[in-house]
Amino acid sequence: MNSEPYHLSGTLHLCGKSRFIADEPPLQGELYAKFLFSPVAHSLITKLDISAAEKMPGVVKVITSASIPGINQIGTVIKDEPLFPEKEIMYVGQPLAMVLAEDEYIAELAVNKIILKLEELPAIFAAEDAYNKKQGYISERKIESGDVETALKNAPFTLQGRTVTTGQEHFYLEGQRCLAVPFEGNRITLHTATQSTMEVQEVTSRVLGIPANDVIIEVPRLGGAFGGKERGATIWACMAALAAFLTKRPVLVKLTRSEDMHYTGKRHPFTSLWQVGYDENGKILAYDLLLLANGGAYADLSMAILERAMFHSENAYFIPDIRIRGYACKTNLPPNTAFRGFGAPQGIFVMESILDKIARQLKIDPLEIRQRNAYQNGQLTPYGQEITHSQLNNIYAKLAEKANYSMLKEEVAEFNKHNPRYKRGIGITPVKFGISFTTALLNQGSALVWVYIDGSVSVSTGGVEMGQELSTKVAIVVSRVLGIPVNQIRVESSNTQRIGNASPTAASTGSDINGNAARLAAEKIKANLTQSAIALIAQKYELTVFPEDIIFSENKVFGKDFPDAYITFPELVSYAHTERIPLAAYGYYKTPGLWFDRDKGIGHPFHYFVYGAALAEVELDTLLGEHTIRKLFIVHENGNSLNEAIDRGQIEGAVLQGIGWCTMEDLIYDEKGLYLSANPSTYKIPGIRNLPAETYIEIIPSATEEASVFGSKGIGEPPLIYGLSVFFALQAAYKEANPEKELSFPATPESLIK
Amino acid sequence: MKNQITQYETHLNRITFFLNGEKITADIPAGISTLDWLHTKKHLYGTKCSCNEGDCGACTVVIAFPFEGIIIYQAITSCLYPAAKLHGKHLITIEGLGSPEKLHPIQQALLTHHGIQCGYCTPGFVLSLFALFAMQPHPDRKTVFSALEGNLCRCGTYQNILNAVDELSANQNVKDLVPAWCRKVEQELFRFQEQDSMLVVKTEIPQQVNCYLMPETTKQLFDLCAEHPESVFIAGGTDIMVQKNINRKEFPFLIDLTAIPEFNRLYLQQDGLHIGSAVTYNQLWESGIVKTHFPVLHNLISQIASQQIRNFGTLGGNIANASPVGDTIPLLMVLNASLWLQSQLELRHIPLKDFFLAYRKTALQKGEIIKEIIIPPLTEDNYVKTVKSAKRQSVDISSVITAVNIEYKNGRIINSALAIGGVASIPVLSKKFPFLLKSKQIKALDPAAIGKEIESEFEPITDVRGTALFRRELIRNHLILYLQELQEAENEL
Repeated sequence: MNSEPYHLSGTLHLCGKSRFIADEPPLQGELYAKFLFSPVAHSLITKLDISAAEKMPGVVKVITSASIPGINQIGTVIKDEPLFPEKEIMYVGQPLAMVLAEDEYIAELAVNKIILKLEELPAIFAAEDAYNKKQGYISERKIESGDVETALKNAPFTLQGRTVTTGQEHFYLEGQRCLAVPFEGNRITLHTATQSTMEVQEVTSRVLGIPANDVIIEVPRLGGAFGGKERGATIWACMAALAAFLTKRPVLVKLTRSEDMHYTGKRHPFTSLWQVGYDENGKILAYDLLLLANGGAYADLSMAILERAMFHSENAYFIPDIRIRGYACKTNLPPNTAFRGFGAPQGIFVMESILDKIARQLKIDPLEIRQRNAYQNGQLTPYGQEITHSQLNNIYAKLAEKANYSMLKEEVAEFNKHNPRYKRGIGITPVKFGISFTTALLNQGSALVWVYIDGSVSVSTGGVEMGQELSTKVAIVVSRVLGIPVNQIRVESSNTQRIGNASPTAASTGSDINGNAARLAAEKIKANLTQSAIALIAQKYELTVFPEDIIFSENKVFGKDFPDAYITFPELVSYAHTERIPLAAYGYYKTPGLWFDRDKGIGHPFHYFVYGAALAEVELDTLLGEHTIRKLFIVHENGNSLNEAIDRGQIEGAVLQGIGWCTMEDLIYDEKGLYLSANPSTYKIPGIRNLPAETYIEIIPSATEEASVFGSKGIGEPPLIYGLSVFFALQAAYKEANPEKELSFPATPESLIK
Repeated sequence: MKNQITQYETHLNRITFFLNGEKITADIPAGISTLDWLHTKKHLYGTKCSCNEGDCGACTVVIAFPFEGIIIYQAITSCLYPAAKLHGKHLITIEGLGSPEKLHPIQQALLTHHGIQCGYCTPGFVLSLFALFAMQPHPDRKTVFSALEGNLCRCGTYQNILNAVDELSANQNVKDLVPAWCRKVEQELFRFQEQDSMLVVKTEIPQQVNCYLMPETTKQLFDLCAEHPESVFIAGGTDIMVQKNINRKEFPFLIDLTAIPEFNRLYLQQDGLHIGSAVTYNQLWESGIVKTHFPVLHNLISQIASQQIRNFGTLGGNIANASPVGDTIPLLMVLNASLWLQSQLELRHIPLKDFFLAYRKTALQKGEIIKEIIIPPLTEDNYVKTVKSAKRQSVDISSVITAVNIEYKNGRIINSALAIGGVASIPVLSKKFPFLLKSKQIKALDPAAIGKEIESEFEPITDVRGTALFRRELIRNHLILYLQELQEAENEL
């Protein structure tokens, strides 16, 4: 396994010396921001009186919508979200006013002095209620292939149902934060915890009414994000920017865990209505699906999330006649947002629960039914993209072999026969995950590489480091191109002055886009240096080497037949500098071949797919509703990994988030839309004891021609789907004790003893 | 929230302790947490704040102090640990362990096993592991889980962290893991004698706590109570500090009970086990007496909170706090535990079952504290068990917690008790249960029927930890579990 290099910031993290925004001494004159958050979900503001708060000693300023110099609008895809609402409050926790004070506690006390009067309006929280009232952001979307109505009519068997999945809190360990520092003139530097530097820059400059080049975005790294800082960071960055702009002092906006959980958007809850037609072999003939995404109060990224749910609704199965409709519902919850998987887990969950239903109905083995329906190369997805490099057959075979499937099944059946209280179950979940932003324009990226005259290298990309080790991967790429060790390469923070117009680091595309941009930049420098190398080798060794024979390797440069006649990389760089050869380059990459026609629902939205499958075995205590995950097997296809240890870490982490979503993470609201489980003592994410007792991960290589940088593939999101196998294993165990009942989502102890 | 800006004078505590090997004296704001002190007064930001209520472990630091003749190293959540308690201790933070150029062996193992992703939880894990290995160089998996269950990693690197632990456990000597500068401080900790003193400073800056008092004798304690009748008592602080950090509650006067030697005693007498109200969960868990004589309590403690909390959270605090879901209460109730309550003028004895009056309201009078908890000796033949049901099977607060104590002879039940937390505003004893079981043959019991009967005795509510229906089901299922287990044991005879 290629596990080196280790985490590029590893030694700093391990010593508590890595830089995180706001985990540093306050600046001279720094102000603390505290907010008045709306206590209700839907209401008119009849009075907002800040005078008493403003008069409090230590308070510098109180800001409301009236203070905004530019446009009170932070929406991007649809411009529907104000920074502060002027008249109408749309969700519990919407910020209404911001207090700035010299002391954090004084700021808090001053917030309590703001007088707010409201006229409450009826609120909607359920996606279906919004759908019935046609309360959405845009009209219904559709992807269709074949004639689903006729096929359903002709199918030997049909089933219909309603499937619900709930939301999920990101719980990044580092909460939302931004430190805004005024700079000369109107300029401002934002140290902001965002996945999306371009968006923060664009929206902030709009709110402040200044050009984008007056706003500098600096992102050192994030303490976890998982999608929650793709768009979620924008509002807080705007707040900090506005406050610093108006007071001309540094301002820190830093949400407490409780504020962060209460008032920021989460994974979209989905309600899905479906009908499926199939034959006696369990082959799915027709699938008619309506996905209702609960988008919350503003559009945010809901349309894109809905779209990805639609693209993944058939998961890894070929269905000849299919119609997928989707509706992004507008409700009075905080605007739901990106979360690792971005709609795909919700779409896939529906398909997988249907397959298990059919398997039970027809008494077909759950692995067998998945194999029978698996995509084969040459088949088309509902949106017309051809499946070209599927390894699903191989993956299923390997999974069965690894898990010793037939024996395991017998063991489980035997165990269940003799145990009234404890029941075991097996769940199987494959994945076919499309890699690329489905909004094609986002699939572009830039890099800037500098070689300094001592041979050390600085690389900037638009990518944001958030624990996925994008930095390590980018360094590996540049190291391979220039033949220098990774520790000679520094991957810099993400900064709009070095890399502008950067797409968010999201959609599992971080290393594809930024790695390729860095590769292209490094290759330009290598081409320049090759000419210098030929000259220097000739000078030093009186050897003539052709450009195509020059090799950069292990910090040396030489002709391929003359490895002893080498020059060192620093030597070459120093020489090139004296010869006035450029030692920096800009690299630009756009993912080739992407298109999608939204009106027709046809196109080639993905650069490639990632395939894999998981099998989980669980044991359920039917009296207490508690369970253990006995075994988890994963076979994952991953191209040609840049660093297998990093990719394994991503698989393990994503799986655990998937398991958390399906089994314990329970968002509880009261009837007024107030989120009750808004702290880690009531909202539980997986801890170390929630690891499966045994996990086996096999990473299999795959054809590299369709993959990305150096044949590698995106890894961040696809493995989250494997977590679903635990839900289905629990469902199997649950049904041993309750054959007539359905397990509700998430599979908490409460669901499991219902 | 009351606004008490100028109502009280704000105090600082002058304390002396060791920080990463260096002896320091500091004037700390009243009631400040160790974490806030590190950040705001020392500008040490390696210790991370993520939840500020002791549930994530990102702020884990290690304290070392003499205990029963040795120096012990303990991980604590610095967000809940009042800095005043550091007096006479050694505080070890991430800044003290290793450097990027020369990593500590724990850090090196985490690096090579890729036990890091975003890095925000990393310092906390390093410190939890440091405390673990300092006390136990070759821990088994169970101990490792105990040590790390209070550290959340949302990136999910747990498996790699375990791999690193396995390597450390196989290869390291404890002498390599506890650096020389820690060993050097150990000697000074034994010799430590400085008294802490209180400074009174007037300030206009509002604070949530105006005065944090740490009496060292009961006389001092009750004198202070008389002087400041509005005082609130604090033992470990794992609840008070949450109220302060999260609910933003103000406490004008906090009186810390943990420096008073009498409240730290744990001993066995003829009338049972005496537990001083400042005895920590971890002390109980480690105690040989508890392990031998009250194994059921020993096991329960491992299910309470996390190691970082058990290291300073107290049983006395759990009782005084009177949470309807207090994890220890049902078990103590069925064991007929009682309390010694002490005030300036009076020492009185009260059965635990009479202690809880209403939601978060107890029999404690103003100026009265719990001195000791007494658990009578267990009888040989009793079936005693407690079951906790929560959403997550570790570091979680109960939805329902029950305990039973069934005394039987020759297959026939003599006496029995059932206590339940999470189904009423206070933990309660079932009235029906003893009656239903009285004089019955164990073999003749119908667990399902009894479960149903008991379930109907209670009217639980729906809240964030579970619906009423769920709680009823848990009551029934706990009963089935107990009675079936009892019958199985009987059948084996």
